[in-house]
Amino acid sequence: MQDLLNAATLGSIYLLFTLGMALVWGTIGILNFAHGATFMFSAFIGHVVTKHTELPFLAVIAIAVAVGAVMSTLTQLLAFQPILKRSKNQHAAEMRILIGGIGVAAIPLAIAQRYTRSSPFGFRSSYDAEVYQFLGLRITTTALIIIVTGLAIGIALTVWLRNSRQGLALRAIGVDAETSAGMGVNRPALALGTMAVAGGLAGLAGALLTFHLGAIAPETGDTLLIKAFAIVVLGGLGSMLGTVLGAYILAAAETFVIFMNWGTWVNAVSFGLIFLILLVRPQGLLGRKEVRRT
Amino acid sequence: MSRARMRTAVLAGLAMATALGTAACGGSADGSGTDGDGGVATTITIAQVQDQTGAVAYAGVGAKEGAELAVEEINEQGFLGDGVTIDMEVFDTAGEIERASSEMNKAMGNKDVMAILGPTQSQQAATVAPLVGRQKVPTVFTQAGAEGIVVNDYTFRATPPMESYYEPVLDWLEAEGATSVSVLYNATFPTFALLGKDSVPEWAEERGMEVVQSLPVEMTTQDFAGQAQQIASKGADALVMLLIAPQSVTALGQLQDAGYDGQIVATSVQAAGNISEAGDDANDLVYPVPFSVAFTDESSVAFTKAFEAKFDKSPNPYNADGYDAMWWIARAIKASGDSSREGIQEGLQKVAAEGYEGAMGAVTFDGNDARVPGQLVRWMDGKETLVN
Repeated sequence: MQDLLNAATLGSIYLLFTLGMALVWGTIGILNFAHGATFMFSAFIGHVVTKHTELPFLAVIAIAVAVGAVMSTLTQLLAFQPILKRSKNQHAAEMRILIGGIGVAAIPLAIAQRYTRSSPFGFRSSYDAEVYQFLGLRITTTALIIIVTGLAIGIALTVWLRNSRQGLALRAIGVDAETSAGMGVNRPALALGTMAVAGGLAGLAGALLTFHLGAIAPETGDTLLIKAFAIVVLGGLGSMLGTVLGAYILAAAETFVIFMNWGTWVNAVSFGLIFLILLVRPQGLLGRKEVRRT
Repeated sequence: MSRARMRTAVLAGLAMATALGTAACGGSADGSGTDGDGGVATTITIAQVQDQTGAVAYAGVGAKEGAELAVEEINEQGFLGDGVTIDMEVFDTAGEIERASSEMNKAMGNKDVMAILGPTQSQQAATVAPLVGRQKVPTVFTQAGAEGIVVNDYTFRATPPMESYYEPVLDWLEAEGATSVSVLYNATFPTFALLGKDSVPEWAEERGMEVVQSLPVEMTTQDFAGQAQQIASKGADALVMLLIAPQSVTALGQLQDAGYDGQIVATSVQAAGNISEAGDDANDLVYPVPFSVAFTDESSVAFTKAFEAKFDKSPNPYNADGYDAMWWIARAIKASGDSSREGIQEGLQKVAAEGYEGAMGAVTFDGNDARVPGQLVRWMDGKETLVN
């Protein structure tokens, strides 16, 4: 049971990180490789601020969310939008955005590495996690917050994308950007809003994960980026519910490997499992099969 | 997923794997400065080819500061003769093996560079060690504690490998009455893999201690909740924790959350304030270090004072590495009376044969490889104190 609880916590960490990335990739078609850097830098700014002033939990979260949203919006305005404008077709734009994202990510990473000398950093906060015990299980308040927040945001995003007008518009862009623009969907405005939300989610994940782990390193976002990438592909691009499932499947696989004390096989077993699933369902667990008309 | 996007996704994966994977003037007053000519040049260029950025930049940046202090002292004292100065040129290996190789080639290709402070990461150091042997450029590595680094006459190591001073930790645990130990180690980090898999279990067995569990993790492991609970459930008297800095901060907190109350011993990686982010969870952590501000040897105290005066902060083991390495090179030039590459190589061996007093105290050598007794320190409320 304790291992299931650990898997739920780990899955929720992955989920919080992946949601923003899945949202922009699955709707406006931007595979944002700067997402990990946004995640890390939001927490880093929280670290810099709390180094001078001790802040409560919610204040740190608010700073990280705001920094993430601003960073992501700026990335869209200054990097991705100009790339989109100058690209002849969507495929060329996707490739350039990919490389652009890596370039953007290098800047906050270099700043954080220089400031911290790549030492781990955390928050000076009045918040102190407590450990709850019930039926022999142990869980911290931070882990509980992560599980509840991850699930709540995952479900809320799924429902919003399915039922709201903006969600419909975003899904329309995801299916065919040009046709949706012809139908009156304001792609640039929606893209900007979506990137801001994704950045805010990255900031939220950065702050919560730093509280949970005690500290993160400037490179932490890179490690999570690979996992998030795998989760989105496993769940099925464009399906938020698939992302939720993918996050918990990857976490369950990793927890099983740890339970078996095959610690150095975590990535091999987990990604091997994903590979096997994709052999059977190339579109991912909940991704839709593309119908091509000739 | 559309085909175009799937193609993008596959290319993205490849791009990610790739992205993440991965001279000064030697003016010679007496015609010296080229290999084997003999004599000491007026300006001797030493290259520091170490991480200044990247995941373990703290080691390279720390060594740079220590080396800068040494250069300042050597030049101000006129240690190598009137008007003879050392000039240090810095090359950033950025945490990448390929970059280390190219920067080393750049430094070795510069005929003004007479010796090199080599990479701090074992993988980088092991890659370039054969190259410096072929190019005949004396290279003093700091940190880089794995095997396969001091492999020829031109490779030297100023930092004693962790394995050479770790055994006293087991002596101390035995003296404290520990009869069982758990081992949690980063199996991707060569030094920790060697210690965690082979050395620590062997030393524990020799002392009649039972290793109740051995938990390897990867470099990318960030959450230790599962391992912490496994360790707490076994309840061994002590835990040998061999993790890199960010991992250890998390592991200490999660061990506390899991209810583990045994003695935790770690490594010098946790020194240099790397553990401070763990707050109270790090209190009572014990680890062996080749240098600490708590050391009382005369030469260590002198180094600490000089460092604090120059940088307005306390030195750490990485600073001590750079300081001792640069002074070793200076002593080598003096010993051989020759600042050429060949002269420095011979001098380094001469100095190693006798040992020296440095920031790390009395340093002796096993061949070209430094050895110090090391001492145990306890971390408590943000400070290190010697464990008696």
